[in-house]
Amino acid sequence: MAFESTLEMDAKAERMLAKAEATSTVVADEYEDQAPAAELTRKDITRMAWRSLALQASFNYERMQAAGWLYGLIPSLRKIHKNDEDLSRSMKLHMEFYNTHPFLVTFIMGIVLAMEKSKERLSVIRAIKVATMGPMGGIGDALFWLTLLPICAALGISLAMEGSLAGPVLFLVLFNAVHFGLRFGLAHYGYSAGTKAISALKEHTQKLSHAATIVGLTVVGGLIATFVNLNTTLVLEVGQATVALQQDLFDPIMPKLLPLVFTLGVFSFIKRGVSPLKVIGGIVVLGITGAYLGFL
Amino acid sequence: MLFEALMIALLAGIAGVDLFNGLTHMHRPLITGPIVGFILGDVQTGLITGASLELVWMGMAPLAGAQPPNVVIGGIIGVAFAILTQAEPQAAIGIAVPFAVAVQGLITLLFTAFSPVMHRCDEMAAKADWKGIDRVNYMGMSILFSFYFILAFLPIFFGAEQAQTVVEVAPEWLMSGLGVAGGLMPAIGFSMLMKIMFKQSYIPYFIVGFLAAAYLELPVIAIALVGIAIALADYFQSSRVAAQVPQQAGGVNDGI
Repeated sequence: MAFESTLEMDAKAERMLAKAEATSTVVADEYEDQAPAAELTRKDITRMAWRSLALQASFNYERMQAAGWLYGLIPSLRKIHKNDEDLSRSMKLHMEFYNTHPFLVTFIMGIVLAMEKSKERLSVIRAIKVATMGPMGGIGDALFWLTLLPICAALGISLAMEGSLAGPVLFLVLFNAVHFGLRFGLAHYGYSAGTKAISALKEHTQKLSHAATIVGLTVVGGLIATFVNLNTTLVLEVGQATVALQQDLFDPIMPKLLPLVFTLGVFSFIKRGVSPLKVIGGIVVLGITGAYLGFL
Repeated sequence: MLFEALMIALLAGIAGVDLFNGLTHMHRPLITGPIVGFILGDVQTGLITGASLELVWMGMAPLAGAQPPNVVIGGIIGVAFAILTQAEPQAAIGIAVPFAVAVQGLITLLFTAFSPVMHRCDEMAAKADWKGIDRVNYMGMSILFSFYFILAFLPIFFGAEQAQTVVEVAPEWLMSGLGVAGGLMPAIGFSMLMKIMFKQSYIPYFIVGFLAAAYLELPVIAIALVGIAIALADYFQSSRVAAQVPQQAGGVNDGI
């Protein structure tokens, strides 16, 4: 899976820190009111999780998710910081560059609110933010975009192709059971465990991504044989006999041989960094040429 | 046609917001396909075309900020044109992709144009004006909605008839060629997935999945369960090995 060594991760975290500081308007490093605020209620954390759905409402290239991230924290921050000066300091901190995985963001939000509540120094809160957003992005991509989404989609597609509306319904239910379960569960876990949650996470990351890769690649292997459609209509005249390439040559070797070879060919292009768009263009040309000349 | 185009535009607006916010994934072609089909009075075609387009976009997730062709417009326009022109579901992909690419370019512009707003947010933060921050986010979502609404409305309202003419006069080999290409497109999505996951030590699992589908013709859900079973076995095996390491100093070998 796409996980860098810890060494690279640190370099990345440093880059992120530099990026956050470059967009910062924070001047003070401490809150005026140093007294820890009252505990946030479960309702507060749940509200934060709901608002986290708008994380990318104001997405842009300069700060990415910053304003949406702040939007999720606002109700709790207003409860924690009773005076305007502290609220302003906190809001400035959270307007710094921010970008992580939109499903796992509530975990970091929970941790950050636990720190805000105990009036940690601003630079410490920033350090935790930037140290977690990269790894969370990586884990999230691996688990959601590369494992959960393709598997749920593949199940939905196989039912939909048979003309059953159960396909889309199953997809939505499965996907969102995991999505919302994690979004709300991790919000509460992040807040109650605070910074301790990070070390627990580090321990499980490696195992989780390894397991996700096993499931993901098994399914991709199956998907290639199920959904890539390629048969040749070519018939060779060999003296007296005719040989239909598909039935007489390829199928006896192995069913779905052509789809496998073709996909591995496309994969070698994509792996070398050829843009998917060029590959799409190439496939259209191949399909039309094949149909025109009558071998596909 | 005006009413249908407005309904489809409304769906596109909601789906466009969902692509970045909410993320229930009702914006995927698998879901928008049958809804567009319902609006245009052909749920079956919508369902099957949507599923075909879903295959193409399956592996194209927004990984680390890289933006793939826009899945919302690609799905909705592809399905709408497939129904309106009575083309093959597979051929819809050829229609969908150019639109999807163009829209993704516009999205990039939108994200650039929104950057200066962040400096207004800095001023709000300095004044502890939290209501202002709320407003900026609501504005962002409204802009996204309107953007997708317009981009879906225009081609369907103004382009449906022309598209039908094009499909009617197109030669046979062109349409069937697009169909063949459509059948090959899923290979791109799968390759994108493999690019991230494929390491030598994982090849056995890939082979198991392929054989289960090619020879045993197992459905995808069964293959997913096979994958989960292997992953669990692997997990327990590695936990057992980890637990045994301290005791292995005496060279006790547990019959492995």
